Parts: sequence; C-alpha cells; structure tokens
Amino acid sequence: MTFDCNASLGNYALRQLRHNTADGLLALMDRKRIDRALVGSAEAITLLDAHSGNEMLSRAIGSHGDRLVPCAVLNPAYAGWEVDLRHCAENLGMVALKLLPHWHGYKLTDACCGEIIAAATELSLPILLPVRVQDGRQLGWLFDVPDLSLADIAATIRAHPAARFVILEGIGIAHSALATERESLPDNYWVEMSRMAVFIGKEIQALVAALGAQRVLFGSGMPLKYVDPALLKLKHLDVSPTEKSAILGGNLQDLLGL
Amino acid sequence: MRIDAHAHVSTPGGDDPWAADRLLLEAADALEIDYLCCSSLSSLRPATPEAFRACNEHLHRTIEHFGDRILGYCYVNPGYQKEAVAEIRHCIEDFGFIGVKLYNEYKVTDPAVRPVLEICIELDVPILHHAGHTWWPLPGQPNISDAADMGRVLVQYPELKLIYGHICGGGDWEWTLRALRDAPQLYADTSGSVVDEGVIEKAVEMVGVERLVFACDMSMTAGVGKLLAADISESDREMIFSGNMRRLLGGRI
Repeated sequence: MTFDCNASLGNYALRQLRHNTADGLLALMDRKRIDRALVGSAEAITLLDAHSGNEMLSRAIGSHGDRLVPCAVLNPAYAGWEVDLRHCAENLGMVALKLLPHWHGYKLTDACCGEIIAAATELSLPILLPVRVQDGRQLGWLFDVPDLSLADIAATIRAHPAARFVILEGIGIAHSALATERESLPDNYWVEMSRMAVFIGKEIQALVAALGAQRVLFGSGMPLKYVDPALLKLKHLDVSPTEKSAILGGNLQDLLGL
Repeated sequence: MRIDAHAHVSTPGGDDPWAADRLLLEAADALEIDYLCCSSLSSLRPATPEAFRACNEHLHRTIEHFGDRILGYCYVNPGYQKEAVAEIRHCIEDFGFIGVKLYNEYKVTDPAVRPVLEICIELDVPILHHAGHTWWPLPGQPNISDAADMGRVLVQYPELKLIYGHICGGGDWEWTLRALRDAPQLYADTSGSVVDEGVIEKAVEMVGVERLVFACDMSMTAGVGKLLAADISESDREMIFSGNMRRLLGGRI
C-alpha cells in the first residue's frame, strides 16, 4: 500500500498545474500505483482566508475521501482559526493540519503558532510542516518566502512533546539537530523524503540510520512536482522489504490511525 | 542510451581523490546512464589559470582512471583570454575532451568571452554554460547569464554550439522556456533539483524536442525521474536522453 503524505488539490497562485482536480489526481495516482494521498488545499497557500481553501478542498474531494484524505491548512495569525480548526476536524473529516508560517506572515516560534499546535494536538491531528512550497529561486517578484529553518523546527518539536509533527520538503535533516540531537528530542516527528538524495550524498539512508525506517515517510509533492523522482528514490533505497513497505505507506497509515 | 550532459567530477586533492566519483558512477549504473559529460570546477572562483589547468588535469586523470564513460568539458575562466584559449585547445586536442564548461565569472555577452566562443567554433565543440533567471538576486552570482543573454550571443555567432545549463536549477523556468523559444539555435539541458510537474512537456512544446538534452547536474533521481515521468512519446524521450547530445558531439558516441 502506497500512501503519499505530501499532496495538494486545487489551483496554485504561482503556476498553472495539471492533475489538480480530484479526478485528475486519482488518474495520476492510478498510473503511478499510489493508493492514497494526504491532500491539502493549494489555494490555501496564498488565500488571505486560508480556511476558504479547506472548504474548497472538501467540496473537490467529494466522495473520494477513501483515497484522497483531507488535511487542513490554517493560519493561526488570522481571526477565528479556533472555530475553523474544530470545523475541519469534526465536520470536514480532516485528519492533519498543515502550517505554512512564512507564507502566512508569522514565525514558527510565534505564540500563535504554539497555540494552534496545542489545539491540533487536543484534536489528535498531526502537524505538517513543509520546509518550503517551492524552490526559492523560482519565487516571483511578489513573494519573498524563506524556507523554514531546521533549527526552528527542532525547537518547536522540543517545545511540544505531546504533539506529532511531519516535516515535508526538507533537506539536510540527517545532518541537522533533528538527527544529531535525536536523543534529547521527543520522538514525535516523522520526515518525508522527496528532496533527499538516495545516491551520492545518501541522505535518506543516513536518516533511516538516525531515526529508524518507522519515522521516514514517502511523499511526492504531487501535483506540484512529478511523482517519479520520489518513487525512484524508494526503488533504489537499500532497506529491507518490510522497512520499504513501512516508508511507502504503513508509517503514515499508523500515524493517522487509518 | 542515456547521456548525462551536465555532471561534475571531484576537484583535485584529498587522500582519495576519486571517492566522490565512485559514488557518481554507482548512481549512473543504477539509473542506466551510459555516459557522463563532466567538468571539474575550481572550489575557489573566479579561477586563476593555475586553478583551471589543475582542474582539467585532474579530470583527464579521472577519465584515465575510470575509462571513457566519462567525457570531459574543459573548464576555463574566460577573463584570462590567452590562457583560456590555449587551455581549451590543449584539452580538446591532447586530452580528447568533448567541449567547454563556462561558469558565472562573466556574462556570456561580455566581450571578454569572445575569444573563448571563437575557439569553440573553430574546434567545433559545444559550450555548456551555467545559467539562470531569478526575480531575486542570487548571492555570489552577479554575472549569471540567462537564456536571453545566450540568444543575443547566438545572433552574433550563429555557428556556436551553446547549451543552456539546468532549466530546472536556475530560477523561473517558465521565463526561461519563453526566452529559449525565442533563441532558436540554443540548446538546453534538463538538469537541476527542481522536478516541477509538467516542466519537460512544456519544454518540448515551447522549445522543441530537438534542442533538449538530458542531464542531472548531480541531482540524479531528479534528472532521470522527470524524464521518465514526462508525458511525451518514446522517440522524443530517446532524443532527449541521448539522440540530441550524440548529434551535438558529432558522432563521437
């Protein structure tokens, strides 16, 4: 079972996408043999009222919730997020919360961010933290959005031991405090591997060695990114079949309790 | 066949000078890459003549060590015009290198680069040129060239074989594809760590399949994966993977 932890639906403000409707994404998943995907709203990345993106996502998924598992995107610096978060969890069936601090005008270390992490944890929602949405060299003149720092992510994880975090689109994690200081950090974080090398630098292997295969997740970034590069990394990752199966989907299924 | 048109071997020095190169070849084996077109870049840039000569000598020794699966680009700093031209002639004629690698010491439109362009035309070898177009300054790269710069040079030098380096590693690729469309003699390599969905299909549509060459620039699964993912015909995929580069190399492979 292949379960992609890093997917989106809808329109992205900076670039025209393909395969970004429910039917389109499902067709792509069929071609790539991906069974399920945790999907967030691409619109919510840049909408001022991010929650309207969640509403759009819920309508777009429609009856395909068995394969397209919805994830909320919310901005804790925006009025009314508390009501929206509960609505996402209790009425829209959203099983995780994605935070985009630098796209939404706050910092990971801000008090409002700590408040939404605590609230999501109360609702048993894991927190997805994309290090970036796209390569910073491609951002247009309207956007100056730095990547999340791995040091800030480590500090956030340390500050919220009861929460569960998934780091998306990260690189250099195997050589950061998230790996080197793992003994002093809570074991409450999982790492998606789409940007990491399986050849030459072999960061995925280093990450598996540091955290264990049970804390590494398959993710592709579809449909913003091609799926095949991430699948190729998994194909060539020299771990046991059991570990590979866990990375491909078992770990995420367990994390989400699905 | 797969020919990676943009790769790098190690820089000179170290106890095991080829440790990194063994990892590159291991990746190439796994990903069915038959040939790697490589340069060795000085870690301290702008490179002096002593530094770029040492890099090219190291690349030559690397090719001797690993065999002719590695094909060499001669790296020079075009600001040292006389030394650069002599080094290019030496590398092509004595070492059997297949082309020239230019980095970002000078914009390709700078008159200082002209002797390098002209010796490449004389020797009939391609130039692989580091490139990019961003909307925010790239730290340390004030002289990076973009596809429009290269198009202007090709108006002056229509016989030049010029390859735009890494569509997917140099910023706004949609802008770049438009500029490539308007520079009909300019080739482009597909390398870079960016794997944005649709970039290859868009490149084929806007630039034309015959001007695209497969490359990784050390982002190995990104380079191969985006080509395998692209919704293009198998004959187009084969042209990008190897056919166009073979044509550029004049039947050398």
